Amino acid sequence: MTISEVSTKDLWYDINHFYIQEAWLLDERKFKQWLNIFTEDVFYFIPRRKNVYRKDLSREITKYGDLAILEESKRDLQMRIARLDTGMAWAEDPPSRTRHIIANLVVEPLENGEVKAKTAFLLYKSHLEYDQDLYAGMREDILRQVDGEWKVSRRTIVLDANVLLTKNVSVFF
Amino acid sequence: MVATKKYDVIDQSTGALDRSIFIDEAVYQEELEKIFGRAWLMIGHESLVPNTNDFFHTYMGEDPVILTRDNNGELHAMLNMCRHRGNRIIRADDGNAKNFMCTYHGWTFSSDGSLEHVPGEERVYFNELNKSELGLVQARVDTYAGIVFATWDHEAPTLEEYLGDARWYLDLSFNRRDGGQQALGPLKWMEPVNWKTPVDNCSDNYHVPVSHLSSILADEKVWGVPKRTAESQFNTEDRKHLFVNGHSLTIGEVSPEQPRYGHGVVEDNRHHFVKYQKDTLPEVEKRLGSKRARGLLLGNHSLFPNTVLGFRLALPRGPLMTEFWHFVLYDKDAPPEIKDALRWGLTGHNGAAGSFEQDDIDNWRSVTEASKSPIARRYNQKLVMGIGHSGPHEEYPGDVATRYISESNQRNFYNRWEEFMNAESWADIPIDPITADFDGTATMKD
Repeated sequence: MTISEVSTKDLWYDINHFYIQEAWLLDERKFKQWLNIFTEDVFYFIPRRKNVYRKDLSREITKYGDLAILEESKRDLQMRIARLDTGMAWAEDPPSRTRHIIANLVVEPLENGEVKAKTAFLLYKSHLEYDQDLYAGMREDILRQVDGEWKVSRRTIVLDANVLLTKNVSVFF
Repeated sequence: MVATKKYDVIDQSTGALDRSIFIDEAVYQEELEKIFGRAWLMIGHESLVPNTNDFFHTYMGEDPVILTRDNNGELHAMLNMCRHRGNRIIRADDGNAKNFMCTYHGWTFSSDGSLEHVPGEERVYFNELNKSELGLVQARVDTYAGIVFATWDHEAPTLEEYLGDARWYLDLSFNRRDGGQQALGPLKWMEPVNWKTPVDNCSDNYHVPVSHLSSILADEKVWGVPKRTAESQFNTEDRKHLFVNGHSLTIGEVSPEQPRYGHGVVEDNRHHFVKYQKDTLPEVEKRLGSKRARGLLLGNHSLFPNTVLGFRLALPRGPLMTEFWHFVLYDKDAPPEIKDALRWGLTGHNGAAGSFEQDDIDNWRSVTEASKSPIARRYNQKLVMGIGHSGPHEEYPGDVATRYISESNQRNFYNRWEEFMNAESWADIPIDPITADFDGTATMKD
C-alpha cells in the first residue's frame, strides 16, 4: 500500500465524516452552524434538469448563465437563514421535518490541494400534517482546508427530477 | 348575449365569491373548454426557438403543444398528438428536428405539422389515405414583443385586440429595447392550488407586507433593500391598480431616473441599474413616448387567463393542482451585470425555491382546500375591498381603482371568468376597444 493510497483512504474517511456531521446539522435545524461549513466565497448552485433526447444530453443539466433553481452566494444563504428566525417564514413555520441520507462518496484530490467530492443523496421532507417530498440527486462539492478544517467552496446540486413534484423548495441540500 | 346566465359566482355589489369554482371537477372541465379552448394563451417566447426546426414543448391548459419554427422560419403551435391514434410525437422539453416520428407506428410529421410519411401507405392503406387532412392540429399563433401566444379558437379576436390597452402597460417591461428580449427557462414545479388563485394574487398587493414579511426583513438586513412596510404599501398616491380586457395590472409613477426593476436590485448593484436606466432612457423614450418611458413602471400583473407576474404560467392540472412555469426575461442588449442580477434576483425571490414565492403556497393551497368542505362553502370569499371605488381615469386606460390596495381587479377577474364560462362563442365575449395613445415607435412586432 503506497502513501498516496493511504492518504486517499484517510481523505475519504474525513470527508465522509464531514458529510455525516453536515447532514445532522441540517436535520437538527442548526442552520447557522451549517452555514459555517462553507467558505466565504461559496457558490451554491442548483441547475435545472432538462428532459432531452439522448443526442442532446450535453444540454441535460443547465449551465451557469441559464435559469437555475438557485444560484446563491454565502450572503444569499445567510438571508435565507435570517428569514427563518423572523418567525414569519411561513413556508418553514411550522418547520419541515427532514432526513438527509448522504451516500456513495467519491473523493478526488485536485492538484491545487482542494478536493472534489461527489455524493448521492435522498432528502425526505415532511411538512405540516400531510405533505411529503422525496428529493433524489447528487452533489458535487469542491472542498478546501481553511484553518485546518474542510469547507465547501462550491456546491452543485443536481436533482433527478424535471418537473419538481413539490410545492416549494424550502429546504437545504 | 346568452339568455340564461349559467354561472353567477361573483356578486359585484358585495364581493361575495362562490368557492365551488375552485374545487368542482365539472366546472374545471368546462374551464378547459370555454376558457383554455378559447383565450389567447401565452406559450413561450420566440427566443426559445431561434433557429429553423427548433422546437419547444409547452402546454395550452392541459394540452401538450409543440411550438416550432419551421423551415421557412414561421412559428407553429400544434397539438402534440399523432393524428393516427393520439400518441405524443415529442417527448423532450426542446431540441431541433426537421420532422417528428410517432414512436407507435412511425407516422412522421414535418416541423410545419404536415404529415410527411406513413409506413405502408401503398401496401396497407392502398394509397387511400388523404395525408393532407392528417397534419398536426394547428392553433392560431401570434406574437407580442417576442412573446408567443396561441389560441385554439379561430373565431377569437386578434392577439392585438385581445391584449387591448393592457399592451400600453405591458410595453413598460417587455417592449423597451430595439433588440428585443431573451427568455430563459422554464423552471417547473407543482403547486397544490387551483390555477385561479395565483392568477388573482397578482393584483393582491394587500398580502405583500404580511405573506412576505420574513423575506422583506431579511432582505433589508442582509442586502440593504429598503423595507416595504404595510404603511408604505397603503400609500397609493403614486401607484395604480387597474383592469383592462381581462388583464390585471399594477403600475407605479416613478422618476425618469428610477431603475425599472424590482427583484434583483440590491444596495451593492443599484448603481448598475441606475446607469442602465440612464443609458437606455433615450431609446425607451423613442419607443414608448415620454409619459411611459419617463414616468411609469409596471408592477405585478396577470393576463387572462393564466399568465402570471411577468413571464410565467399557471398551468391547470385538475381543480386542486397547478403546474407552475417560471421564466426569466431580460433585454437582449442589456450588459452582463444587469442580466446576471435579474436572473439571480428573479430566481432567488420567485420560482420554486424563491424566498418570496415559497411563503405564498400554503396560503393559496388553504384557499383552495377550504373550498372542499360543504360547510366552508356556505361562507363565500369576501372580495369586498374598494367596491364602488374604481372607474375610468383621465390618464390611464382601463378600470382604475382609486386605491392601489384594492380587490377591484379580483372582482373584475372573476367577472371575466363568468363572461367566458357563460358565452356560447367568442361572439358573446365582450372586448374593450383600444383607446390608448400608443406614443412612440414600439409595435406588436418591433
